[in-house]
This record gives sequence, structure tokens and C-alpha cells, in this order.
Amino acid sequence: MSMRSQVYEWDAGRGTNQVQAAEAGQRISIFIGGFGNNITKPAETTATEFVVIEDIAVTPTLSIGTDAKIGGAVTGLANGEVRGLLYNSVQGVAGPRAYTQVRINTTDYFLNPDNVPNDGIPGTASPYPRSINFQPSFNLYPDVYVLPGQVWDVIVTFYNALGLGDAATGAPLASTQVVATNQLQCFVKYTLYDGPDALIANKLLEMGISINPGNVDWYKRSLLASQ
Amino acid sequence: MSMRSQVYEWSNLAPEGQEFTLRRTTADLPKALTANREYDLFIGGVGLNITKPAETTATQFIVIEDIACSPTLNGAVQIRINTTDYFQNPDVTDMVGIPGLASPYPRGAPSTVTLDGAGGVDSLVDTDNILKSFDLYPDVYVLPGQTFQILYTPLSSSTLGAAGSTAVVSAFIKYTLYDGPDALIANKLLELGVTINPNNVDWYKRSLIEQQQRSAAASAAAMAATNGGV
Repeated sequence: MSMRSQVYEWDAGRGTNQVQAAEAGQRISIFIGGFGNNITKPAETTATEFVVIEDIAVTPTLSIGTDAKIGGAVTGLANGEVRGLLYNSVQGVAGPRAYTQVRINTTDYFLNPDNVPNDGIPGTASPYPRSINFQPSFNLYPDVYVLPGQVWDVIVTFYNALGLGDAATGAPLASTQVVATNQLQCFVKYTLYDGPDALIANKLLEMGISINPGNVDWYKRSLLASQ
Repeated sequence: MSMRSQVYEWSNLAPEGQEFTLRRTTADLPKALTANREYDLFIGGVGLNITKPAETTATQFIVIEDIACSPTLNGAVQIRINTTDYFQNPDVTDMVGIPGLASPYPRGAPSTVTLDGAGGVDSLVDTDNILKSFDLYPDVYVLPGQTFQILYTPLSSSTLGAAGSTAVVSAFIKYTLYDGPDALIANKLLELGVTINPNNVDWYKRSLIEQQQRSAAASAAAMAATNGGV
């Protein structure tokens, strides 16, 4: 089991400290950010590990416009859900306006064309979960490599707290309320190469060959053939 | 990290009292868009903008792989490299670009929305799901030193409904940024007439390494032969 496909799903409404409206606009680490479900320590690779991040996705958003009257209203609201997302009639969007960024050590992966780091991939371009209403426009290719000894993080930023539902009532998130589950989620899919396979991954990197299970197997076969 | 997949998402949202913003905020509000006017997604002065025109340095190469926009307002997106528009009519006249109905953002978005703040009448968000009819292939290359723009043109005004509500629209661009040695390889592939993508850049690197190994082996063999001959 030295090449393993792995996933991590973060939900802002899980754990003991759920996201509140005050966190809107803040950058939240899905691993150690202190909100939702977290892990025990920063995500990092050991000297004998190599991680290839193959996909990231976050809750999508739908642009509509201001003052729309959306049917199926949540209790106590003038405007309700559209396509499974809570509608904010002031900002004119349904959903959290969420973005996700990959950070390796201290470097953000996604940049604007002026080389300034941005919020990352919009959930609208890489939605989680995927549905008929929200299909991906973005494919993380080339993959992102986390070399041995590096620390990596996935960061979520959302800008529309009123697009999230309160855990108790389902109404848009007010300042003291906490978000319900399945309202703001992030998903990461990566492959973990460990031990000898991590060494092979490093070798492939030196050779300029894409690191994927097929190429690692090919390298093993070519070693066996040369013996 | 010299080949990086990048995206840029624009929408007509900015804080109150400002037409544009360099950072998204939680207090963003929709900004009115005029019908048939081109909006530069990067420095157009409406919605999310960046600090300077999008351009490649001498050591950068950009390959634009996808563009899309909201299907509503009959919007369309155009790519401009330096001063040349990429999409043209068959008679070589200017056009607005790829319609959002052909390349929707998000994929699966409704084709129209009706805004109506008056009278509490339910607005209609169409139940249809627009899927893409257009694939940006071959990709669009932005060579080192070139400036590029992505232009969004709504064919109708963003002011809708009896109460004059403002529609929110978005546009999306996906590109790969090749930097440093990989940009040099991208230029070399361009000279060779080979499509520029991460696979082909990797292939070129491998062929360089193999070439070096072969020449090292050949010189070692020649050296051995020379020494043996003495």
C-alpha cells in the first residue's frame, strides 16, 4: 500500500466549533483552521512521502441578481432556496461565494494575472458536490506536487454568510448563529506515495515525467526489465 | 512549480460606493452594466479587477484553455491579444465573442433569470441547465511580452424587473502559466509546431535528458576507445 488514493472532506458545520457569519472574508485552513472538522497537526510530508494533489473543490454559488423573489422560502425569510443554495437578495447571489486555495509552505498556488495571490478556485468552477446544476469548468492539471518535507494547506474563503443556513433554523446565518452541515464544504483528492514509491516519484520528477500511479508502475517495470 | 493551472473569476460585484475592487469583500453589491459595452475583466473599472493589465513577462508563456460567462443578459466573452480580437465574424469584422449560452459559467446555469422586487411576485429562475457547446481548442497562446484582455459584453442591460433590480453575472478564464525554463520550452515547442500543453513540455524535457545521456555515453565510449588504443 505505498501508493494510496486519499480524500479529505471539510464541512464548516461539523466538529465542536462551527463557522459563524463573522468568519466571512477570513481565510480558513480546512486542516487546522479551528472551524469545522480538523486534523491534529498541519498537513506535511515526511522525508519518505510524496503527495500529488489531483483535485480540489468547494461549495458552488449561483449568480442571480438583487431583489429576486425566490419561492420555497425558508421559515422567516422573504427569499428561500434556489438550486439547493440559500439566496441573498442584497448581494444577488445564492450560495456562499466560496473559493479554495492551495498553499505549499508559505506560497499560494493560484495567482491573478498580475502575479498577486488570489482567493483560489471558485466553487462555481470546481463545485462540491457536483450536480446537474453545477458541473466543473476547472480541472487541476497539471497536478500540484508536495515534495518530501513540505507543509501544505488548503484554504477556504467565503464572502456571503447570508448564503449559508443556520444549524438550528435553516435561516441565513446571523452573527451569533453557527452554520448547518452540508452548507459550506471543501473536498481534496490526492495520492500519497510512501517509501520506495516516494523515491520513484522523486526520480520521475527529476526526469520531467508526470507523477501518477501508471508512471510509477512503468518505472518499476523498467527497473525490473533492466536487471 | 513552473507550470501552473490558474483561473480568474470576474463578477460585477464591488463594495458600495466603488465601481471596482481589487479584493472581494463581504459587503460587495452588484454594479450596473450597460448593454453592448465591452468590460475588461482585468482593468475594466467594474467589479473585481487586478492591479495592472494582464501581460506576460519575458520569462512567461500563457496558454488560455477555457473562457466562459453567465448565460444571462445574452453575455459573450472575447479574447484580445495586444490589440487583436481572437474571435471574428466570417467577414473578418468584429464580434462580441463566445456567447455564454455556448460556454456557460457555471456549467448547468439557467439561461435566464427574472428579477422582480415589486409586489412579492416570485421571480423565475429557469429550470433549464445550459451545458457547453463550445470548447476552446486549439488553445490561445499569449507569447512572452504580450498583453491580453478578456472582454465581457452583455447584449442587454443588467437592470431588470419593475423595481430596477441589478443582475449579477460572472465570467471565468482558465489558463496555464509556464514560467522560467518551462516558458523557454513552450517557445521551443511553438517553433517546432507542437501543441503546448504540460504533457508535451514534459516530453521535451525527457527528450533533452535522453539526448544528454546518449552523448555522455558516446563520449565515455570514445574516451575508453582512445585509452585502449594507447
